[in-house]
Amino acid sequence: MNFRKIFSSSVFLKSIFIISISILIFISSISYKHSVSLNDSSKWLTHSYKVHLELEQLITNLKSAESGQHGFIITQDTVFLTPYNTAKKEINISFSNLKKILADNKKQVSNLDFLNSLTTSRLKLLELALNLSSEKPFNKVLLGETMLLGNEVMLKIDKRVDQMIDLEMQYLKERRAKYENEISFTPIGTLFILLFSLLVFIFSYYKMNKDLLNLTKSNKELLIKTESFNHAEEIGGFSSWQWDLKTNKLIYSKNNYKLLGYEPEAFMPTLENFFDLIHPDDKDIILENRKKILNTNLSTNINFRIIRKDGSIRHWVSMSKLLIDSNSLKIRIGINRDITEQYLNNIALEEKNIALERGNKELATFNHAASHDLQEPLRKIQIFISRIVESKTSNLSETDTEYFARIQSAANRMRVLIDDLLLFSRTNKAEKVFEKTDLNILLENATQELAQVIEEKNAVLEAAELPKLNVIPFQIQQLFINLIGNSLKYSKKDITPVIKINCKKIMGWDEPTLKLDAAKIYYKISVKDNGLGFEQQYAESIFTLFQRLHQDSEYSGTGIGLSICKKIVENHNGFISAEGKPGKGATFNIWLPV
Amino acid sequence: MKLFLKFDLNTAYKKILQEQLDKHTSDYALVSFGEVDINDSVSSEQLKELYAQLSSYGFEVVESNKSILIQKIKDTIVEMIFMEDDLPATKISSYLANKLNHSYGYLANVFSEVTYTTIENFIILQRIERAKQLLITNQLTLTEIAWKLSYSSVAHLSTQFKNTTGLTPTVFQRIINKRRKVFGEGKTEEPDAE
Amino acid sequence: MNEVIHILLADDDEDDRLFFKDAFKEIKVKTVVHIVNDGVELMNHLLKEDITLPHILFLDLNMPRKSGIECLTEIKKIPHLKEIPISIYSTSASDEDIEETFVKGANVYIKKPSDFSTLKKILTQVITVNWQYHTSGLNRDTFLLSI
Repeated sequence: MNFRKIFSSSVFLKSIFIISISILIFISSISYKHSVSLNDSSKWLTHSYKVHLELEQLITNLKSAESGQHGFIITQDTVFLTPYNTAKKEINISFSNLKKILADNKKQVSNLDFLNSLTTSRLKLLELALNLSSEKPFNKVLLGETMLLGNEVMLKIDKRVDQMIDLEMQYLKERRAKYENEISFTPIGTLFILLFSLLVFIFSYYKMNKDLLNLTKSNKELLIKTESFNHAEEIGGFSSWQWDLKTNKLIYSKNNYKLLGYEPEAFMPTLENFFDLIHPDDKDIILENRKKILNTNLSTNINFRIIRKDGSIRHWVSMSKLLIDSNSLKIRIGINRDITEQYLNNIALEEKNIALERGNKELATFNHAASHDLQEPLRKIQIFISRIVESKTSNLSETDTEYFARIQSAANRMRVLIDDLLLFSRTNKAEKVFEKTDLNILLENATQELAQVIEEKNAVLEAAELPKLNVIPFQIQQLFINLIGNSLKYSKKDITPVIKINCKKIMGWDEPTLKLDAAKIYYKISVKDNGLGFEQQYAESIFTLFQRLHQDSEYSGTGIGLSICKKIVENHNGFISAEGKPGKGATFNIWLPV
Repeated sequence: MKLFLKFDLNTAYKKILQEQLDKHTSDYALVSFGEVDINDSVSSEQLKELYAQLSSYGFEVVESNKSILIQKIKDTIVEMIFMEDDLPATKISSYLANKLNHSYGYLANVFSEVTYTTIENFIILQRIERAKQLLITNQLTLTEIAWKLSYSSVAHLSTQFKNTTGLTPTVFQRIINKRRKVFGEGKTEEPDAE
Repeated sequence: MNEVIHILLADDDEDDRLFFKDAFKEIKVKTVVHIVNDGVELMNHLLKEDITLPHILFLDLNMPRKSGIECLTEIKKIPHLKEIPISIYSTSASDEDIEETFVKGANVYIKKPSDFSTLKKILTQVITVNWQYHTSGLNRDTFLLSI
């Protein structure tokens, strides 16, 4: 049902939300990192400029100290010494500033230390030159040398400062490159991620919307189904229940209350109050079943009686099965069905069946006894007549003899009738023992029974291979005897009687004119002769009890033989039919199911 | 437990006869099957005693010439049907006449006079007897039996079997088999001395 | 057949006893016919010390007090009686009845015929065939005859 779909879609939605949130966190962290590095970058820029500025300042101060000294040396005016003095102070400040700024860079610190020593030596040389120039007369050569040395040192300072600036610029360049590298990815990535998030959100919205619609639809369907189920329960006379095996909670459908004789939801169903409603004689069945329910996963099916609220006893059948879902839910769901009417009908039917069976048995016994007991006096009548007729001492007139002959013939006929009736009643008897039997053997037995007639008539029997079938052996043997006997009886005098027995395996649908079971396999056995045959119009009636086609006393029969055949074939759930052509012969077809 | 015995009638016959005769006289000779020569010195009382003892073994001393002849006819027929695997090609009537040195007409007359049955009936009875034996002990099929006993067809054998016993060979066989189960130890003999 | 043949009949039907007796009167075989009226009487007779055992016993199936089948079963259990050939002599002759009595040890099954000459013929046949089994060394275990 939709239940599963919705369930799986909720898992899907949950995962979409988790993904979206992680994407948002990712974006935020990237933005944060980005602003931090921007900040760093500008700080470093300022840092570089400061170093640059401070170094420029240092050089400028040194230069102004130098030019002040030069001016003093030339003019010997002390005014020129003011910039020199301030420069010295400024240089110290510059150094301490630079030291602070560059404290975290070892290379620059060593450069600065070196610059510091150079600057110190430059200042010393300046002071030395100053002292030399103020000596009177001053040593021109020494001064010149000092100043030359000073100039050299100054060049070195310039060079070192340039180096430091270059280094700083290089750092700046590197950082810039790194920074640029970092921020160049940021805008595209962010945009991409944003777009992706947007997509995800749109999709989740669509999905949620759709699920919601589905859920509404399913709810509606569920409502309809529940209603129709309730309806079905009411009409079908059954009800359903659920028993949560973990919590022991019971839920009844509406109709379960009704079937118990209560209003829906009239009470809280519990195992105990249901047990109270069970017929005292059937409580054991319920207990047994509960044991089974608790201990096994098997489906159950029990019959028991309940006593309704109004005191009436109803017969129920209850079936249940176990429902286990992924949340290790264990519920027994069951169906109760009120089968009281069915039960009562069955009992009535059974009683009728028994009565019918008894009736049938009585009839068969009556038939048997009647024909058996009729034989006894008849036989005596016959014997007494035969004694009178054969007695040499009795003086019978011609008419008497004639009458006695007629009595004898009538009595004989009655005897044959009783014999055949007896045979017919035996065919009808209730006990029918089916055995897997080789029909070839039964046919062989039948020909043995008929051996004398076959020999007398010089008849030829051609039999095809017959199957092994589940039959009542003596009946099928009787069937063969009757059919072959029939063919022999109605054979033509002038030609050799030929009786052909054929057998064919067919499907029920091969013979649509008969009422055969279409999908069943049948054996069609036919007994064909070249005897007197009969008009096709009698093909049905020859199977009727006491029906005879030949009034001729030569072909007299009781009209029971073929009825017995029909009865036998019917006992085997088969069919029999006859085809005939006067003067050509007759064919009897038998269809026996496998 | 069932014992199926095969024995030689002739040997048993000789052994029993000799044992009994030895008790009374040593002067005797077994002439042929069913014929003994005894010295005249044996008293009639001794003879009576001998008859009585022999009769307890199923031996019967036949006295009249007619009875002897009938016994010979019977023996010849039984011998022909039981002792030989294949029946002689000649007709039984001429075979009997030849063997016993009387005309067949005479033999037939004497036979029916004394036994109330005819030689033909006796032959049929014996052949069916043999057929029964073959059906039960050798488990031959009807076709095989018909051939072995020189019947013209199975139908002929069946007819004769039915006429003689009132039963078809199959029903006969079934009844005997069932009966053996009911009575447990079936005393089946096979006097088929080869 | 110069010997007298002893015959015993057990039948509760008066007419049948009469027919039986009359038939043997007309048959040219020397016989002594003894008749009892039912199964109980039959067993009492057979168990007497001083009787001549019959050469053949004719037994009606349908008798009051003790049926033919019961008599048959009993006789076959008594060592000195079980060798007596038994001929069932009954009105009905269903294949089942015939087979059952044969299986229980009967040798002959006679369906009482419906005319007197047939009765004589049948009884003669039974007596002579039985005599053959007595005298001609036939196997009594396979002596079955249904008429």
